Amino acid sequence: MALDLSMPILVVDDYQTMVRIIRNLLKQLGFEDVDDASDGTAALSKLKQKKYGLVISDWNMEPMTGYELLRHVRADEGLRTTPFIMVTAESKTENVIAAKKAGVNNYIVKPFNAATLKTKIEAVCGA
Amino acid sequence: MPANAAKTARAARERDPISDVRLITRELAEVAEYIAHVKREIGALRANELYRERIPSAHDELGSIVKATASATHTIMAAAEEILCSQEDTFETYRAQVEARVMTIFEACSFQDITGQRITRVVDALGQLEKRLSRFAAAVNARDSETGPVDPEDALRQARKDILLLHGPQDEAAAIAQDDIDALFG
Repeated sequence: MALDLSMPILVVDDYQTMVRIIRNLLKQLGFEDVDDASDGTAALSKLKQKKYGLVISDWNMEPMTGYELLRHVRADEGLRTTPFIMVTAESKTENVIAAKKAGVNNYIVKPFNAATLKTKIEAVCGA
Repeated sequence: MPANAAKTARAARERDPISDVRLITRELAEVAEYIAHVKREIGALRANELYRERIPSAHDELGSIVKATASATHTIMAAAEEILCSQEDTFETYRAQVEARVMTIFEACSFQDITGQRITRVVDALGQLEKRLSRFAAAVNARDSETGPVDPEDALRQARKDILLLHGPQDEAAAIAQDDIDALFG
């Protein structure tokens, strides 16, 4: 199955530079419908207004972290199946295990490259 | 001191109140000398200089570094985005545009020289702080209290970090590699 390039993607990161990097990488991969949010609370609000095909989230944000966002998403009946990739500098094994237990679909440690992001999106979105 | 000798000394003191006074005087002199020593060491810390000058200066330097790196990153990314989105029709105009943006990127990279100098000053301030604190700790034989006063804000921050697993970037040796993460996800 080919990647659906028209699917809306939500990028959640409190660093505008990182949002911009991920947006550009997604654009290079052919995705055009990309929104962003600066923390878990803002992301949750956007997720309730629009159906996203993928969430790409940082971990360390204020006031709601990416880990909390993931748990909210997985606990919400309407959102629980939304693919979720964590892109973070949190590189301790316990973080990866906690995220996996909470239902993350894939985990990328920063810094990363376009090829890694593409591979993970393909793995998660079933290309 | 053997038990008999102690007993004899005690008995002697009981007999001679002047020796008690001499003993107390000697002990008070030792306490006074220790207090003077600690005061000298506190003075050597030059705490006022640290908190009025060195630490605020390091704080400002770090703030400037954050601003300079953010500004340079913005400039570099804007130039790269202009290249990616170029609508130039001919090779010559496209090449001219790319060359101009590449020059912008080179110029923006000059931030590294300035931030390098600022980082050196912060490292120097931290070095001074470490040197003075370690000298002070050794001089007064300081032991860390486990029941001392706790900054409530710091305690809250720490509790949040622990609960939400906010460890931040790790040293290469402690960090899990992407390949190992991939193995966990099968």
